[in-house]
Amino acid sequence: MAAIPMQYLTLQASTLPFNHVIKKLVMKYSLIIFLALLINSLLPGCKKTLEEEPVGLLSPEGFYKSKRDVESAIFGAYGMLASETLFGRQYVSAIGLRDDMSDIGNRGTTAERIQVNDFKMDATNGMVRLFWPTWYQVISAVNSAEFGAKSINLTETELNPLLAEIKFVRALSYFHLVRVFGDIPYIDKFISNPDDVKSISKTKEAEVYTKIIAELEYAKQWLPDRQPSDIRTRPSKATAASYLAAVYLTLGDHQKAYTEAKWVIDKRATYNYSLEPDFQNLFRAELANGLKETVFAVDFLGRINVGNNNDDLNGSMTGIRNTPQNGFGVIVPSLATFNTWNALDYRRKVSFEDSTLNAAGVLIPFTAYPNEKRPHIAKWRRFPGNANTDGRYSDHNYADMRYAEVLLIAAEALTEISGPTQEAIDYINQVRTRARNWPGRASTFPANLALAGLTKAQLIDLVMDERKFELAFEWKRWFDIKRRKLGDILFKGPNSLEPQPTFDATRDYLMPLPQTELEINPNLKPQNPGY
Amino acid sequence: MQKTAYGAFSQSRKCMIKIILIMKMTAFLLIVGCLHVGAKGFSQKISLSLKNAPLEEVFQKIETQTGYGFIYAKEQLTKMKPVDLYFVKAELRTVLETVFKDQVFSYTISGENIIIKEKPESKVEQEYFEQAPPYIVTGRIVNEEGKPLEGVSVVIKNSKTGVSTNGEGRFSIEVAPGSNVLVITYVGLESREIKVSGATILNITMKPDEAESREVVVVGYGGVRKSDLTGSVSSVKSKDLTAYPATNAVQALQGRAAGVLVQANNGNPGGGFKIRVRGGTSVNASSDPIFVVDGFAGALLPPPEDIESMEILKDASATAIYGSRGANGVILITTKRGKAGKPKIDINSSYSTQTEINRLDLLNAAEFAELIKEVNPSYTPGTANTNWQDLIFNKGNIQNHQLSFSGGNDAVHYYISGAYFDQKGVITNSSFRRFSITSNLDFNATSWLKVGLNLFTQSNTETGVITQEASGGSIGTGVVAGAFKFGPDQPVLKPDGTYSIAVVGDPFDNPVATAVERQNEEVGDRLQYNLYADFSILKGLKFKTTFGSFINNERNGLFTPTTLNAGRNVGGAATVSARKVKSFINENFLTYTKQFNTKHTFSALGGVSYQKFINESFGANSQSFLSNSVSFWNLGGGSVSLPGNSALTESTLASAYARLNYNFSDKYLLTFNGRYDGSSNFSKNNKWAFFPSAALAWNMHNEQFMNRVDFISSFKWRLSYGLTGNQAISPYQTLARFSPVFTVLNGAAVNAVRPTTIANDNLKWETTAQQNIGVDIGIFKGRVNVTADYYISKTSDLLFNVQLPQYSGYTTQLKNIGKIENKGFEFAINTKNLVGKFQWNTDFNISFNRNKVVELPGGNDIIYAFAPGHMVGISNSAQVLRVGQPVGSFFGWQYNGVYQQGATFIPGAGFEQVVGGESFRDISGKKDATGKPLNEPDGLLNGDDRTVIGNPNPDFIWGLNNDFNFHNFDLNIFFQGSQGNDLLSYTLLELETLSAINNSTKVALNRWTPANTNTNVPKVATGRPQRVSSRWIFDGSYIRLKNLALGYSLPANFMKRVKVQRVRMYISAQNILTFTDYRGYDPEVNYRNANLNAGVDYGSYPNAISYTAGLNITF
Repeated sequence: MAAIPMQYLTLQASTLPFNHVIKKLVMKYSLIIFLALLINSLLPGCKKTLEEEPVGLLSPEGFYKSKRDVESAIFGAYGMLASETLFGRQYVSAIGLRDDMSDIGNRGTTAERIQVNDFKMDATNGMVRLFWPTWYQVISAVNSAEFGAKSINLTETELNPLLAEIKFVRALSYFHLVRVFGDIPYIDKFISNPDDVKSISKTKEAEVYTKIIAELEYAKQWLPDRQPSDIRTRPSKATAASYLAAVYLTLGDHQKAYTEAKWVIDKRATYNYSLEPDFQNLFRAELANGLKETVFAVDFLGRINVGNNNDDLNGSMTGIRNTPQNGFGVIVPSLATFNTWNALDYRRKVSFEDSTLNAAGVLIPFTAYPNEKRPHIAKWRRFPGNANTDGRYSDHNYADMRYAEVLLIAAEALTEISGPTQEAIDYINQVRTRARNWPGRASTFPANLALAGLTKAQLIDLVMDERKFELAFEWKRWFDIKRRKLGDILFKGPNSLEPQPTFDATRDYLMPLPQTELEINPNLKPQNPGY
Repeated sequence: MQKTAYGAFSQSRKCMIKIILIMKMTAFLLIVGCLHVGAKGFSQKISLSLKNAPLEEVFQKIETQTGYGFIYAKEQLTKMKPVDLYFVKAELRTVLETVFKDQVFSYTISGENIIIKEKPESKVEQEYFEQAPPYIVTGRIVNEEGKPLEGVSVVIKNSKTGVSTNGEGRFSIEVAPGSNVLVITYVGLESREIKVSGATILNITMKPDEAESREVVVVGYGGVRKSDLTGSVSSVKSKDLTAYPATNAVQALQGRAAGVLVQANNGNPGGGFKIRVRGGTSVNASSDPIFVVDGFAGALLPPPEDIESMEILKDASATAIYGSRGANGVILITTKRGKAGKPKIDINSSYSTQTEINRLDLLNAAEFAELIKEVNPSYTPGTANTNWQDLIFNKGNIQNHQLSFSGGNDAVHYYISGAYFDQKGVITNSSFRRFSITSNLDFNATSWLKVGLNLFTQSNTETGVITQEASGGSIGTGVVAGAFKFGPDQPVLKPDGTYSIAVVGDPFDNPVATAVERQNEEVGDRLQYNLYADFSILKGLKFKTTFGSFINNERNGLFTPTTLNAGRNVGGAATVSARKVKSFINENFLTYTKQFNTKHTFSALGGVSYQKFINESFGANSQSFLSNSVSFWNLGGGSVSLPGNSALTESTLASAYARLNYNFSDKYLLTFNGRYDGSSNFSKNNKWAFFPSAALAWNMHNEQFMNRVDFISSFKWRLSYGLTGNQAISPYQTLARFSPVFTVLNGAAVNAVRPTTIANDNLKWETTAQQNIGVDIGIFKGRVNVTADYYISKTSDLLFNVQLPQYSGYTTQLKNIGKIENKGFEFAINTKNLVGKFQWNTDFNISFNRNKVVELPGGNDIIYAFAPGHMVGISNSAQVLRVGQPVGSFFGWQYNGVYQQGATFIPGAGFEQVVGGESFRDISGKKDATGKPLNEPDGLLNGDDRTVIGNPNPDFIWGLNNDFNFHNFDLNIFFQGSQGNDLLSYTLLELETLSAINNSTKVALNRWTPANTNTNVPKVATGRPQRVSSRWIFDGSYIRLKNLALGYSLPANFMKRVKVQRVRMYISAQNILTFTDYRGYDPEVNYRNANLNAGVDYGSYPNAISYTAGLNITF
């Protein structure tokens, strides 16, 4: 084909072809050299080019420089507590469903919830799958904080309270885990390489408790009397003591349980603890930050959510379906729970939504609810504060421990040690007195207890009942059942609020560890019995 | 006189040279234009009435009336006599004959030009020549069919003298004394060199040049003749890519190339497509091939109308030059460029109407109410009878227009195109619009430097509805799933004028509300350019450098008003997010070609490249608005502001690459490829890796022994082996990281972090080792072409998010672990069944790919699910990675029908044990004393009884295209299909679980009742878990008539008169026929597009049936 005749034209135009050729060559090669230089300048040393320098990401290397950095990792643990997978829904729902008061409402809900409720769990249960890792992420955050705290130069007075807070969070987490699972892997070091712990074995339940107690003791020693602004979402000395009391109670060491609880009660002024006069106010999200009754709470902020964090669904889970509450109707107490609860008890009124407005604005009784025709839990749904209209993303602070429980721990432990005493009865009566404060109504129920004629067993039963009503739906009941091995009576007995014929005491006081964990690390075997 | 004559000649000789050059150029322009202009005859009628008119004026008149141009030298004009002319509608030739009758010059018509030249028979010169040695050679040049060839270049070798043939194929050239060689050239024909040594009359027949007409295939960093190709490459040409209106070029590839699987992720206007070349080589990382647009790796695709061809590189011989990005295949896109010649204007325009491809046959209001009341007798049915599918589906349409200008001369070639695509989807409120400009310019700056610029800009706007929702509880239920599930007894609007909300199951929004009320708009603005310079340094040695960049700006706005649950809960929610992706690329490479003693040809390529990616994103959202009228353009109007977000990631890829080709006698071809890639995404100990490949091809038909087998025109064996990589992981994944945790203290957010990621200092590429054996056979002079390939590819160091012990506080870590294998067979055949007046061409391709997991960490199964979040019961168990099984195998229980009266119930937590309930097989669970499973029934139903219940990978996929041409009619019939793939339908699982929480299909009418026991459909039961079982596995095979098109081109004679080259009108239909046993509504859609979750169907946006009318015009 005819080549493009351009060059002919160019040559033609030139009178000195030789010069032209030189000119052309010079032009050509200088252009190439120029380009080569340009490219060279654009391609800086390859090694450096390929180094990653992320902006906006936090690298652990050199992260810890100050006390504030350590605190931010402790706060990270609090943020994980306030997640959908722990106090926002999964963990507290699982513990709630396990008891004899909260039942499944909508049985069209997911099988995993029904399994937990009906004692038909297997090792792949979806609720466990979600909350197990999150507890360990809480622990991992404070383990990292501890590593950080020890890696920087802090004075003892700066360091010890930080370590105390770290140890408190770790103890709190293991206290929950050990009650749910028994023997568990126990990690209290920062892990930078998971291979280091890939083949560890479980730590025995008793040893876990020993470690929890040691950590709480340290916390009690070094934590401040009050946190800045007296907030209750970080621990104080008394928080550690209150948890020590709960731990000892769980272990049946009633003397120590009593001692710790008593210590808190006696120093309540120092720690600014008192019972909130109106029981309802404990469940008004907008008041949560100022409650003097709270010993330790997990803080959710209304209508803000970042993924798993700060996503509270307890209101939605317990809300009434197909009403303006727009709830899911998943966790709904059995009708017997409501019916056997004295209607004169203000706490029943606060705890239950036995009627609701329908879409037309007409108040309908629970018997006319569109789906689950039972009173629903009201504690989290009635006053969620600045929340979505379906109750999600509430403003609640979920109290894992409140002063009323400390009083009841003291009463129970003391009774176990000394039988009925006025002191124990007084603690109970403080709780009862508050319960009678029914605004706008003169309430005589529950009446104060009198010492006369009470046997130890009766009083223990009374304390347990008091805990049941006072702390209803606050994920305490299951641990009481477990602690006192009441499963066969409560789930299979004639007065069962929520009969569960499949309950098996040899299996069901513990949940199974996630199957995947045992597959990744066979040294965690054996699985809990029965699974 | 002699002197004068000589002087005159001398002067005219200069002109002559110029003229010849001009003629050559003209010839070139004409020829390169490939004669698709069609040689214009002399049919142009001329009317003239001139007295004593100077020729300049005559020429102008003729130019205006005919469009022909005159080429002459100014000096020539002075020698020409004025003329008298009177013509009415005369032929051009007649006019010209008269004009030139008494002139010293003659003319020749070359293409669109009339070239004024010396009269060969000019007496003066003849005398001169007779006296002096120069002589004249005349002749006539014809093609093989004896037809005269116009515009053939006849040049005296080693001189600048040349002429070109006239319309009768004649030429006449004066030749210097002595022996000379005439070089005769014409595009597409074999060049001839003819020795002359005296006045001669030559009759020359030119044959097609096989080398020229042989297809050139674009490969990485260059192109090769198809016969020299050693790798496995499929080509798809422009015509097939624009057979029907397509959102993007990937869609247009469906069914066109062997070994290439294209699936719609959904039918949403503007929706993406999944593309796999020879199966997925990866599990976790992307298995998308890399797209290279005109040499720009990772560039954005121009619309199909601007694409000349797409080459799919499949085996390692072809892909290894792309090293760490080659493992999933490489798709090279060559955009259209201008060709020398008269400006060409193309107009392509079409309009389509669309309807959804299928619907589900659902229960009506009465049937639905009866079903619910069976378990909930107190249910009060609504009074409406709403067909939700009627309400959300509407007629869609597509407008697709493109206008392009192209052309050029010897110095500049240009291509400028604008394309507009506007689709209104078949679901209310969904649309996609794009406008793009593609501009390609090439300059021959000097004889040794060619520079060019590719420019591409695109703006697109997409409004979308929710489909394939990740989770659809009370908020987030999609339009399609909603239309299936929502109770037909409910009205759209309640008496109070508000939208109805589901009364059974989750209280989700009705689908009409979801479609109409949610405002979602995604806008993309793209700018892409690539500059190149091509230097010819020495003979055979070239250097090319390119500088390219793209900027992709995306903005997404979403407003959820209070008329929807999600908005009502928060008083209206608005989100705006934006993303800017930038890439810069510089490629520099040398190519060198050298031939030794005609038998050995070497060509070598070597280069370096540097590419950087920058990805910026940010977003903000707020809630609680005074009114629903603000849309997302007033975030400040929300009284609740949520935390904003922003992120920046950068990555760099630096590479060096080389290729060596050796060709011995066109018989034996060797190719070595290698690329050395360094990627910032990888860990510090493994930044660099080398990817080599080698290939051998044997053109067996060039061997002596094949000479006798004359029905075979080509027969080539290809063999290749090589390594390629996959580095498709995000930046920073190898670094340890603390992540922020949203934490509240005392009602206020505080800074909080936790460790989330562990460093992996050894993370590296996935490496795929691929071997390929292939054969290309041409039979009956290329009437039949067959390509077949067999390959085995093994991917090792699979990038996998390995589960860590969760008590470590971490969940997963990206590691290189495990192996998968793909092997398969591909076959493609194209045949020219009929040639001549009635033409019939057939293209058929079929691909068989077998995929399996070869190795996993510890040999353990990895069980997972990508199920809609609200179907919580699926609980992460629907699919499995298991050694020996295909990736993404469906995993669940074996459905064993309905428990009938008297059946023995198998106990198991969460399993029904009632008559009329679902029953499943107990297949495993028994363990020996040490706890080892024995794979024997244990009398219990639980997780142990799950097994592989389906394979989402097809046995084969195929495409069959038939083109017919008769006179001015053309007909295209294109079928495409997939065979043997299973689908897991979450749609049907949700609708037919029959737990009275949503509507169902008509299958529910056959449910178990005491009166209807002979059935496999269980009774209605509340609380029945949604369980993945063989009940939901379906054969997803289908055959689909993708395109049926009938075109008519206006006759050429008529076209000549209106000066339009081509007008084609067509009507076509897409997707009008589908043959499938799948009960869901479309076997061709996916819930998600990763390898791990192929073949899962849930609430997809349906594909559409389209009817299209279109027009192609070329000026």
